[in-house]
Amino acid sequence: MFGQLFIKECRQTARSLIYWLIVLVLIFDFVTQLGEMDIAREPKKGQENYGMKMSDDKDVIMETALGGLTEEYLRESYTTYPIGFYKSVTLDKKEDAKIGKIINEATGIKGRDNLEKLWEEWYTAQEEKMQLQSGQEPGEAAEGMEPAMMQNLVVKPAEGLTYERFEELMDQADDILGGGSNYAEDYRKKNARVPKTYEDAMTEYHELIEKDRLTGGYARLFSDYMVIFLGLVPVFLAVTRSLRDKRASMNELIYVRRCPSAVIIASRYLSMLVMILIPVFALSMVPLTQCMKHALTEGISADPFAFAKYILGWQMPTIMIALSVGIFLTELTDTALAVLVQGAWWFVSLFGGTATLTGGMYGWNLMPRHNTELNWEGYQEGFARLASNRILYTSLAVILAALTVIIYGQKRKGRYQLSWKNIGRSKK
Amino acid sequence: MEKYWQIEKVNLKYHVPLHVLVCILILGISPLLLGVSNLPAEDTAKVLERYVALTGIILITPIFLPEQDKNIRELVNSKYTKSSAVYLVRLAGNLCLLAALLGIYIGMLKHNNCQFPVIKYYLGTFAEMLFLGGLGIIFYRLSDNLIIGYMAPIIYYIIAAGGGEKYMGVLYPFSMSTGSYTEKIWLFAAAACLIGDGVFLKIPRPRLKTGCP
Repeated sequence: MFGQLFIKECRQTARSLIYWLIVLVLIFDFVTQLGEMDIAREPKKGQENYGMKMSDDKDVIMETALGGLTEEYLRESYTTYPIGFYKSVTLDKKEDAKIGKIINEATGIKGRDNLEKLWEEWYTAQEEKMQLQSGQEPGEAAEGMEPAMMQNLVVKPAEGLTYERFEELMDQADDILGGGSNYAEDYRKKNARVPKTYEDAMTEYHELIEKDRLTGGYARLFSDYMVIFLGLVPVFLAVTRSLRDKRASMNELIYVRRCPSAVIIASRYLSMLVMILIPVFALSMVPLTQCMKHALTEGISADPFAFAKYILGWQMPTIMIALSVGIFLTELTDTALAVLVQGAWWFVSLFGGTATLTGGMYGWNLMPRHNTELNWEGYQEGFARLASNRILYTSLAVILAALTVIIYGQKRKGRYQLSWKNIGRSKK
Repeated sequence: MEKYWQIEKVNLKYHVPLHVLVCILILGISPLLLGVSNLPAEDTAKVLERYVALTGIILITPIFLPEQDKNIRELVNSKYTKSSAVYLVRLAGNLCLLAALLGIYIGMLKHNNCQFPVIKYYLGTFAEMLFLGGLGIIFYRLSDNLIIGYMAPIIYYIIAAGGGEKYMGVLYPFSMSTGSYTEKIWLFAAAACLIGDGVFLKIPRPRLKTGCP
């Protein structure tokens, strides 16, 4: 019975307009983001730059964070990203004094005037350095030239300040600013960026071809781009499918069938999951083929199943949760409420994940980000959290699907009926 | 006139409250998620274009929702009052609500010491709301499916947010935050076309066979 229903549901999905719109959206996402994917080449010695990396050096982290805090304290305006959106925070006098105290303890510099002096000296020195580099006399304007980037203020920590105390002080500053500031744990590490050396670039390259076997890194990048849409579009399919019987006035006809509710919902759910996975697998063939060709010419031992593993492990839990929210809320309310709920969740997850693009900081985000084929080390470090994240969402999706079975069963027995219109009318 | 007011009264009583409530909720929670005070012009534009404009999808798209049930639609079509007139009345009512909500929100931003040209940003955001809602209306009309109606503007928004400036040209919805206003005029013109087509377009729907000769 399940097999027959499953195939029937797959056929129905394949005939629905919304499914093909979703396929088009996924193709668009893939073509625009990964259409011109270049496979990483071995770094050459003497390159102008090898990119930037986050520094683990505690001194660099402290100096960068303290420099940033000092600048914002002097400007009396602090930048925060509570959900990834820019939020400018202006403090009242009491809070401003607290930040002043934190800076005082962390840097050993007392008073706003001394900090202003330090700030002026830093930028004057920077300006002179840049003008010397461009071969101009100090004070001469650089006509027709793009101004070179100035280095942000860096302030040395006070003598004897331990890293633990520094962390406590920065956490306090972040709390005063309402969270999501440049002094929160994730951000202060992310902001401490230093240029990569040739050796760093070589290490990352070797990790990509040896530990990730080339395809692993690209499968992560593929997953990073695909989850952005997969965190939302399945809900449209789920809501449409759940409302279809009602729209076609077929509910009563299906309710009286002998087929168990669990079989009906499971066949619908799994058919939608499979039908969404099909285009994802199909699209993954493009980068996989590219990687395999490159591996063959370069003599790299690539993993041909890496994309399949990442699709099932990384992307599938996100698809499952979007589908589950869709079927659960639609059965519960008989409305398109799920679109709004999933849309809001997607919105917060997407903009909340902007600080974690480099990978390794997966947290509990619905759409874990890793916007590079490199950073295998970060992936390894964050793997336990990533695995917990994916298991949590898979479990939640299964629970919601099970609850949908219960609601559907109650509706069939005539014990549950709720729609917003009925609520409105019952008040009369 | 009385007739049209009756249509709007039914709309306000049964169809709009939930959508308005959702919009108020979205706008109400914004200070928890975004900066809404002491913002410079570009950041104010970001809040309006990327967040507040989303309410256009919620309030404009579902103007055909009461006729989602085919039986009701056929009943409405059989009446003397044209269905397009009914849609226009609902649309006008929803637009007034949207304009009022946007006005209150902009007033709140101004009160919170955000620096921006009020009228310009009000009209620019409203044009974007109309465009997103217009996209929803036309897709809803063509597909006869509310979910597709919601999906189209949301996908448009995602593509725009994901660096869609190069694909969207003059219809790029977040231009105010990059300092350009021409796009808003194009968005308004496109919105007028989309909404006009959506409301007046007659799409033949297959009828159920009754077995009668």
